[in-house]
Amino acid sequence: MSKNRVSRRQFLSYSLMGVGGFMISGTLMPMLRFAVDPVLQKSGIGDFTPTPQKVDELTDTPVRVDYTIKDRKDAWYESDVSYTAWVYKDGDAIIALSPVCKHLGCTVNWGSEGHPNEFFCPCHAGRYTKNGANVKGTPPIGPLDEYEVMVKDGLLYLGGTKPNTLV
Amino acid sequence: MNWNPNDMDTYIQQKEYIDTLLVPLLKLETNPENMKSSSSSTEFLMYLSTFIENQFKGRIMLLPPFSHTQSMDLEILTETLQKDISLLSFKHVFYLTTDSNWTSSKLENVIWLPSIPLESMDKQLRQKIIEDQLRQVLPLLTKKWTE
Repeated sequence: MSKNRVSRRQFLSYSLMGVGGFMISGTLMPMLRFAVDPVLQKSGIGDFTPTPQKVDELTDTPVRVDYTIKDRKDAWYESDVSYTAWVYKDGDAIIALSPVCKHLGCTVNWGSEGHPNEFFCPCHAGRYTKNGANVKGTPPIGPLDEYEVMVKDGLLYLGGTKPNTLV
Repeated sequence: MNWNPNDMDTYIQQKEYIDTLLVPLLKLETNPENMKSSSSSTEFLMYLSTFIENQFKGRIMLLPPFSHTQSMDLEILTETLQKDISLLSFKHVFYLTTDSNWTSSKLENVIWLPSIPLESMDKQLRQKIIEDQLRQVLPLLTKKWTE
């Protein structure tokens, strides 16, 4: 009939190639996927957590913002972890400070009794000014950390901590 | 500070600052009918002591809960516990408990709080209750610290 009749030999080799290729790709594809996986991992930029704080309610006085990271995994142990930030407005910029004292890790408070207009650590009377700078002569050895800040739909989102950039 | 090797390293370097030991006293009730209430007060006590540790990390070392069952003799426990704890050479030692039997024991610096069932509360309310409880405990701590 036509010139391009498929011989038995050709038919067998084609189907063998087809099936063999299918099988090889079946084993190679996952290997390739595993090999390039680290490149495809999301970077830390997406790690912002929403807080209940509305941005337009912020003033130049620090307020306490509590928020929770859901389902945090620490090995096999899954838990919701609560965090706190002290947030205020400096002009148009939103400043979120970490409440963790730079001395030994206690929790500092803004405007506690006897210490108006400063952050005070009840453990060893460490003091910080509003921008987080440690007051000289008190135990803390550095300024309070800052949180990465993002605003979305009028709500405050907080990310990881970074060294204080205001001092 | 928690009773773990990392925090212990910090403690050994900063002994003069971390001068307070907090010991939760936990009563495990093994009668089947008391299991629920016992677990509820355990949750409350552990929640509160973890929160106190978190707030005063740089001054308080939190011991893992010292547990006893209902039939153990508190007088003997008091004696041995006090003797052994004194080896740790903390300037201040506080015992935190929801079991009122300890208040009539010879143990010093027992802070007794009535247990509040936290299991039926949502997260915010629970946080608020624990903070209120801390406000009750705080004057007792600061009083000792300023002595």
